[in-house]
Amino acid sequence: MPHNETIADLGLDEYKYHFVTDEKPIFKAQKGLSEEVVRQISAHKGEPEWMLAFRLKALEIFASKPMPDWGGDLSTLNLDEIYFYLKPQDRMERSWDDVPQNIKDTFERLGIPEAERKILAGVGAQFESEMVYHSLKEEWEEQGIIFESIEDGLRNYPELFREHFATIVPPQDNKFAALNSAVWSGGSFVYIPKGVKVEIPLQAYFRVNAEQMGQFERTLIIVEEGAQAHYIEGCTAPMYSTESFHSGVIEIVVKKDARFRYTTIQNWSNNMYNLVTQRAMVHEGATMEWLDGNLGSKLTMKYPSCFLVGEGAHGEILSIAYAGDGQHQDTGGKVIHAAPNTTSQIVSKSISKGTGRSSYRGLCKVYDGAVGAKSNVECDALLMNETSRTDTYPYIEIDENRSTIGHEASVSKVGEEQLFYLMSRGLSEEEAMTMVVRGFIEPIAKELPLEYAIELNRLIELEMEGSVG
Amino acid sequence: MTEPGPAPAGTVEDVLGGWVRERRDPELIAARRRTAWAEYLSEPMPSRKSEEWRYTDLSDLDPSAFGPVGTEADPADSIEDLPPAVAELLGSERTRSAVMVQRNGAIVHVRLDPELAARGVEWAPIEDVASRQPEILEEHLFASEVGAWERKLWALHVAALSNGYVLHVPAGVVVPHPVHTIRYVDAEAALVSTHSLIVTGAGAEVTCIDEYVSPDLAAGTLSLNGVEIFGGRGAVVRYLALQRYGRGIRHFSMQHANTGRDSTLNGLNVTLGADLARCDVSSHLLGPGADSEMLALWFGDDDQHFDHHTLQNHAAPHAHSDLLYKGALTGTARGVFRGMIRVAEGAQLTDAYQTNRNLLLSDDAKATTLPSLEIAADDVRCSHGATVGQVDETQLFYLMSRGLTRPAAERLLVLGFFDEVLGRVPLDGVRDRIRAAIEQKIGLPS
Amino acid sequence: MSGFVSVARLEDLPEGGLLPVEVDGVKVVLARAGDRVHALHDRCSHEEFPLSDGEIVGNQVTCLLHGARFDLETGAPRALPAVRPVPVYECRVEDGEIRVKLG
Repeated sequence: MPHNETIADLGLDEYKYHFVTDEKPIFKAQKGLSEEVVRQISAHKGEPEWMLAFRLKALEIFASKPMPDWGGDLSTLNLDEIYFYLKPQDRMERSWDDVPQNIKDTFERLGIPEAERKILAGVGAQFESEMVYHSLKEEWEEQGIIFESIEDGLRNYPELFREHFATIVPPQDNKFAALNSAVWSGGSFVYIPKGVKVEIPLQAYFRVNAEQMGQFERTLIIVEEGAQAHYIEGCTAPMYSTESFHSGVIEIVVKKDARFRYTTIQNWSNNMYNLVTQRAMVHEGATMEWLDGNLGSKLTMKYPSCFLVGEGAHGEILSIAYAGDGQHQDTGGKVIHAAPNTTSQIVSKSISKGTGRSSYRGLCKVYDGAVGAKSNVECDALLMNETSRTDTYPYIEIDENRSTIGHEASVSKVGEEQLFYLMSRGLSEEEAMTMVVRGFIEPIAKELPLEYAIELNRLIELEMEGSVG
Repeated sequence: MTEPGPAPAGTVEDVLGGWVRERRDPELIAARRRTAWAEYLSEPMPSRKSEEWRYTDLSDLDPSAFGPVGTEADPADSIEDLPPAVAELLGSERTRSAVMVQRNGAIVHVRLDPELAARGVEWAPIEDVASRQPEILEEHLFASEVGAWERKLWALHVAALSNGYVLHVPAGVVVPHPVHTIRYVDAEAALVSTHSLIVTGAGAEVTCIDEYVSPDLAAGTLSLNGVEIFGGRGAVVRYLALQRYGRGIRHFSMQHANTGRDSTLNGLNVTLGADLARCDVSSHLLGPGADSEMLALWFGDDDQHFDHHTLQNHAAPHAHSDLLYKGALTGTARGVFRGMIRVAEGAQLTDAYQTNRNLLLSDDAKATTLPSLEIAADDVRCSHGATVGQVDETQLFYLMSRGLTRPAAERLLVLGFFDEVLGRVPLDGVRDRIRAAIEQKIGLPS
Repeated sequence: MSGFVSVARLEDLPEGGLLPVEVDGVKVVLARAGDRVHALHDRCSHEEFPLSDGEIVGNQVTCLLHGARFDLETGAPRALPAVRPVPVYECRVEDGEIRVKLG
């Protein structure tokens, strides 16, 4: 593979610089997971001792936990074949020619600008987004808003970082949280000061560098009392990556009376295993909203969670899942009511097409003492073909009688009458299908920022092509 | 009355294995017992790590601590020996087409309307049928598709079978009144295993009631039960299980309805008694036009633990199932509901619905509900809903403003809560009795 | 002194160690951090897993199952997924004996 030669050519001097006070061997990209790889990651990032210790401990925890025996099929996920850490430069070396034609076609159809295509396909480097980011950054700095890479967060704000890091998702939480804790690289560190309301959505997209496309990104977001912000990650355009495994951890703290929304629209390519732990701790009077759109990947396992720990806290999870041929979306959400008068809502809309399978998995837990807790969950699944599949697995555990909990789910296919009506108005069967599907996801899609909503609509159109006949 | 085994000290292989080997049954039953015993030994006891047993802890269930009870009935043991409360449940020939009484598993009384016998209706203990009409048993006895999660207890149930009945209603025969079995248990530290096998021919119609009664028992007794219903083409079967055990009993009932083409099964499970009651109710819709209505209600108080696990198995296209399970809990009682609607590939035009409602009446009661769906066909209509909450304050206030005290108003609302289920049972006498049993438990004068 | 029950000897509990004991049918975990010995209910408030199978980090105990953490002094939750405190009991060391008093 060209990688090793390139590293030898490009990296040696730089590595010598990093290792100047260290006797560590020369960095070499290698497959599989080992203590050596973890040490290299930490050394390359110049991390403090406690973070190295944390990573090594997490590695042990990862080894001690079994693979989950529920959810999607992870049997073909071979961790020994994965590069757990690649220097940024390594990514640049992939060529545009390697990108599959269907991905290139989709970019064309969605009207993605030339430069962006390369970034999305993981073959570009710097481009305009970086400049947009830098100019916004100045504005934010004036308000005390911090939006940096997670590495810079650790380096520049060590106390703040350490206070919250791994308190929302500890490494023992699950096997893949442990993995991420050992090898995390790339992601965002966000801090919104008291009372500050950020108008423009913060987009992960802005800080594009190769590490942001990383497989093991870690994000830590702290929203202070009374603050307000919206963070967007991903995009509807298909993301192509030779790496086939993405395991991220997102930790969010929403303090008293603050409001925060985290939007994800992901359309990973069909070879991708996408396993993410997303969790928010929501304090008194605060509101947390997860907007989760999962449109691709071979298998996604992701359940954004809201721990409502303060009185009057509110959590919402709006989830769209689209499973095409050979894809399995195993998604949903968790809400935990641990204080009085907390409220929550989960709305999940899924579409299964071809041999796709979408599964809703959720938890609503109400602790004793969470008097006045109210929760409502609604899951709707649309099946497009005979071979499509859907499942619903909600867990509802209620220990407080003075609470009101409701859950509903329904499964159906596109109605004959609906189609007939639309076609009698002059639409082709394909166009009619597209309209019905758009209507189905509309309650969630309308919450998306405009450009995402437009792209999402175009994507649905694309997917519906050839869906008929 | 047959004495239960002496308080055993050996291992389960020793105690139960010995008992199984000593049985003198017709070969048909003996063979099944032996196979089941081997299976029992090879299966692990379900633990909380398995999904279907996550909320019910069996770690202190030791079958070797119970004395299995025999199948022979002491001829001197008759209805007169039973407590009057049981005897009066049997009704008269005018209200019951057939009755049976099992005491600690042994069959002490059987009665069948001679006119129905003349038309070919079979109503007898399993071992009698094994001798006379083995074909029915060959085809149906223990033939249901048992889920992986219930294999261990089903195997124990079969291996340690005390006794049970076979009800065969031939094609075209309509049984006018309910067929009623009372299962009375008063043996301490006993393992009582009963079975109900109901086979109906094309167009047959019958209503069956299995009722479980006992005083409070000091030393725990284990009650295992299996029910298998085979619905012939166009047959209509109504099955009710009314469990009113006292305290000191753990009861496991595994029910399988095999609903054939165009046949209808309406089932109702009422759970009021026992320390721990677990019902596994599976409805297999095996032919187009099959229709299964699954109803249940439970009321738990003190530290009772009730776990209902259901399966609506749509194996064939064009079938309909509708489940309504409602539970109310007070004291420190715990209620668990896990319901699965599974639609197989190709089971198009399935209509399947599932609703679970839970009422929590005290600070310490707990409800867990897991309504689930696994759908592999697309031309279907499936939905489920589950709620957990308390008595509606507005309704409560309304009743109190009409002069009722708060406790009286609450009780009325709880009865109203259950009426949604009871209203779907078109058997006035039975419905009234169930209502009376609930009232007695809640504390209203009956 | 009344209400205190001897549950272990100090030498049975190494520095930074956890020891499960039972007092009147209640499962208690002894935790030694520095020169202090703490007594907490040996069940994580998240899913009832024994805290004694976990480990001490600083002045907190971490549950092995999902990483929940609790303050050894107060039993307050310090990391998700724990949201409820764990009961703590009075604990004294006298003459090398660890003594615990339930609430």
